[in-house]
Amino acid sequence: MISKQDFPAINERAPEGVKADGSPFKVLVVDDSMFVAKQIGQILTSEGYEVVSTASDGLEGVEKYKELCPNLDLVTMDITMPKMDGITALEQIMAFDKNAKVVMISALGKEELVKKALLLGAKNYIVKPLDRKKVLERISSVLGK
Amino acid sequence: MRVEYINPFVEAAYNILTEVLGGDIKRGELYLKSASVPVMGVAALVGLAGDVEGRVIFDMDMATAMKIASQMNQEDLKQFDELAKATITELANLITAQAVTKLHDLGFRFDLTPPALFTGENMEISDHDVEALIVPMETSQGRVEVNVAIRDRM
Repeated sequence: MISKQDFPAINERAPEGVKADGSPFKVLVVDDSMFVAKQIGQILTSEGYEVVSTASDGLEGVEKYKELCPNLDLVTMDITMPKMDGITALEQIMAFDKNAKVVMISALGKEELVKKALLLGAKNYIVKPLDRKKVLERISSVLGK
Repeated sequence: MRVEYINPFVEAAYNILTEVLGGDIKRGELYLKSASVPVMGVAALVGLAGDVEGRVIFDMDMATAMKIASQMNQEDLKQFDELAKATITELANLITAQAVTKLHDLGFRFDLTPPALFTGENMEISDHDVEALIVPMETSQGRVEVNVAIRDRM
């Protein structure tokens, strides 16, 4: 009988989304586009991250952050959203938890807003269209992996 | 309409369609329409207001929209549902954001509206006092027309 041990290990690398204790990093995705939220979710879950919740505007994002904190490791935050934009939501999240790890998701041409977000405490940013490698690199660097 | 307005949209459409769809994208011959323009079935419209004003439409038939949405989601979507609509809207966002960045670099200042998505048969669009320049882009999923009607603010 062929057992698992008979196959050579071709992928020794641990998934980036999993902590040393084996539990996944927990992520909140804030984006008003169902397409972008799904895309981020697929990229992250494929690497072992767990998307614990999504929010479709900044206001809902802040509420969900407060609800989930401290059982949350990272937030991805769109910039242009209805009800409350991502910059205001970032400010409110940082006021609530100065150690929050927020990564901005930006369209091209929002450099000024991205700079503002970084000054307000965002840990990194990703410019759309989303590239899987770039997303994973930026997020794992924020989580110090 | 000044041609310098349309080039950034054509370049951006080419770049973004190549990036999100892969495969060969071919640019067709640009044409001008001063009367009503028929719309193919699915049209994402972004409005511009500032130093320049007008609108840009990304126009395609339903079969093309379904194939593009499926390709961008890497799954075979069966109906033009909320996810498919969000996908075509995001495509319009991506192309417009890149084009507008180029126009801003050229010194034009204006704001954009969020894309509005129109679907239906036998639609046409009329632009008052501004002609539309249309550039067809042939993708493996079908034809997408970039339809730009912009003028200097009076």
